[in-house]
Amino acid sequence: MKRRDSIKTIFLSSIGASISLESCITPVGESIADKVWEYQYGRTPHEKSRDEKFLNSIFFDQTELKIIERIANIIIPPNQYGNVNDAKVVEMIEFIAKDWSTPAHNNYGENVLRKGLIVINQLFIKNFNKDLLECSDDEIKIIFDKISYQDNVSEDLSEAASLFATYRYMVVTGWFTSEVGMKDLGYKGNIPNVWDGVPDEVLKDHSVSYDKEWIEKCVDQSKRNDLAVWDDDGNLIT
Amino acid sequence: MEILKSKERYDVIVVGSGAAGGITSKILTDAGLKIALIEAGPYFDPADPKQQTQFKPTWASPRRGSSVTRRFGDFHMSYGDWKVDGEPYSSKDDTDFMWWRSRMLGGRTNHWGRIASRLGPKDFKCKDFYDLDENWPITYEDIKPYYDKLDKLIGVFGTKENLPNDPDGFFLPPPKPRLHELYYIKGARKSGINVIPSRLSVLTKRINNERGICMFCGQCERSCSVYACFSSSSSLVIPSLKGGLVDLYTDSMVRKVNTDNNGLATGVSFIDKKNGKEYSLRAKVVVLGASSCSSARILLNSKSNAHPNGLGNSSGLIGKYLQDTVGTSKQIFVPELMNRKTYNEDGVGGAHVYTPWWLHDKKLDFPVGYHIETSYRNLGMPQFGVGGYIPNDFNKFFGLRVGGYGEQIRKDVKKYWGSTISLESRGGAIPDINNYCEIDKNKKDIYGIPVLKFNYKWANSELNQAKHAQDIYEELAYNMDGIILGDKPGKEQNYGISTPGSIIHEVGTTRMGNDTNTSVVNKYERLHDVDNVYVVDAGPFVFKGDKNPTWTIMALAWRTSEHIISELKKQNI
Repeated sequence: MKRRDSIKTIFLSSIGASISLESCITPVGESIADKVWEYQYGRTPHEKSRDEKFLNSIFFDQTELKIIERIANIIIPPNQYGNVNDAKVVEMIEFIAKDWSTPAHNNYGENVLRKGLIVINQLFIKNFNKDLLECSDDEIKIIFDKISYQDNVSEDLSEAASLFATYRYMVVTGWFTSEVGMKDLGYKGNIPNVWDGVPDEVLKDHSVSYDKEWIEKCVDQSKRNDLAVWDDDGNLIT
Repeated sequence: MEILKSKERYDVIVVGSGAAGGITSKILTDAGLKIALIEAGPYFDPADPKQQTQFKPTWASPRRGSSVTRRFGDFHMSYGDWKVDGEPYSSKDDTDFMWWRSRMLGGRTNHWGRIASRLGPKDFKCKDFYDLDENWPITYEDIKPYYDKLDKLIGVFGTKENLPNDPDGFFLPPPKPRLHELYYIKGARKSGINVIPSRLSVLTKRINNERGICMFCGQCERSCSVYACFSSSSSLVIPSLKGGLVDLYTDSMVRKVNTDNNGLATGVSFIDKKNGKEYSLRAKVVVLGASSCSSARILLNSKSNAHPNGLGNSSGLIGKYLQDTVGTSKQIFVPELMNRKTYNEDGVGGAHVYTPWWLHDKKLDFPVGYHIETSYRNLGMPQFGVGGYIPNDFNKFFGLRVGGYGEQIRKDVKKYWGSTISLESRGGAIPDINNYCEIDKNKKDIYGIPVLKFNYKWANSELNQAKHAQDIYEELAYNMDGIILGDKPGKEQNYGISTPGSIIHEVGTTRMGNDTNTSVVNKYERLHDVDNVYVVDAGPFVFKGDKNPTWTIMALAWRTSEHIISELKKQNI
């Protein structure tokens, strides 16, 4: 089958694989000291104090955090790699709510993230006469179906749709930037290695190949440790 | 304010520890000169675990690498960006100029794209070939030996191509192209557009025993902990400190160059950012390598009776002829790159291939060309925003529903991951006396130093260059069976031309020339007006063509350093 055709087949049949919904238990909260210790990533003293300030303060209350967790679990359901709690999606959103709450961010935490929870929860009260947290997954999906697609959002739901899109953006980011999410995505780098080109089977799959004359000029990785020496004309001789 | 004076008189004071200051410090101290190296930011060593961001996974950041505290994300190695706390700048009228500052040892070389291109023979003879106002007072042949020495000392990979205006050097071997780069090569060739291996200052092979070899993590912009890509901090300044001839002053903002009654420089004054006190240092020679605009600012702020318009400014040209690279970009969605098999394709921290300017002989409505750079992190480590705001926005190209949640969204993210290629043109700007920075008489930074005000407009021919690039993107997208994303920017959008300063290639503020009326420094980068002050950053550039400036900054600074050593030996300064 030509690659073009295979693409067509793949994207037309991409939906519908069944997955089992594992129960999502909130993990025992880590102490703040542990969190500060966890985030060692080359901060300047000024940046570090900003991080610590936010890691040591609270933005969302427990109910709000539970709503975020519930929404996140439906936007990115658990699979064999883990769930949104393993990916610390809720913690990320809690942090961003504080990180983006400056006047320059137009108090994003309050005006977008907190507001989003209120507006979305209102839809459940209106439709089912109960809070989102009291609804079943099926009930939640009935609402999400109305606000998550670009083609069928009714005008009175446009604000809710835009706030839902924000949460989807946050949850997808939180998942795919986590350790478990990167495994799910298939990202394989960020390790010291000796890169020697695209794997043969991938080249074949894409019907591309390396030019012989191009590749002859490329690095011979078996000689990378030999000290570079050139002739007077700039030709590498080692 | 109390001014604290040092007793020692240095041979040379070097201001700035980036590309220019780093190579100058090395060459001067190798010759046994005693120098003071002054840096406005803190000490930085990419091998210091406390400062290192290389190999940190995205989840190590509580904001997942987003750009709240660092403009290009948490892991990007620049302390400071187009905004620096306490150090504002202003703009004249409707100018929108962006001025990047990296306040740290090594400056912008810690995060630069490592593109180590040489200016070509035509770029030096830019009046003759491009009909610009002046040629450089030096030729490619004058500077070639220094480019050659740089290649061998610092390392650059590339290939011999015998192109007319992109000279070859002493290259290390390049890495093989990535998958999307093969698509780009194939697409470009359909239009007769040349593609060659990139020329980056990354060690794909050992050049000495002090620096490591590339580990292919794709993170050069984080500055390399084994010193495999070039940063002035890791590869020049830190090794120079071991010789005992460098006194390094960090967190020190130079206010001005001090002069005696005869107008000769006696040293510099700086503010220690840690205690707010002002200090002065003395030296036989002062070398400014603070970056084009910073050095212009220091000179303009160094007024005295002998130099009422600012030091070395009898021509009135300091700050004038400011140029940034003309940039445009476009993302292209390539359906054949959907549903990719994943594998480690981090490679080096830059594109493995690029297109040098290819239309030398064609008559066009703009005099100066551009090169095309491609994206490189197509299968790179996801950071904040992975998948985009609407992860399956591309569904619209196939008539599929956009939006949703659940397994479908997860699959769509994977489906489209790595399927876009972004192309960026980087072209020559036209030197123009009306594009400039000057001192803002009404504004000071928190150290009490008057700040810069910018005035900059793109010329019509620069807009024409941008338009040409946008047309080429469309053609290349078609050749790759792809689709350009977003609307093609037209005249109303200035063809998507970059905001001046946003490409971070400011050059030209202390122009080099033989005529003291039309230039600021001579061909050895010495101020015409002052025998013992030199400018070694990109300020002296007459023109930079479509080339990235770093390699030329360093080649010129090396040549100037040899000149200083010779002048000091002859006791001329």
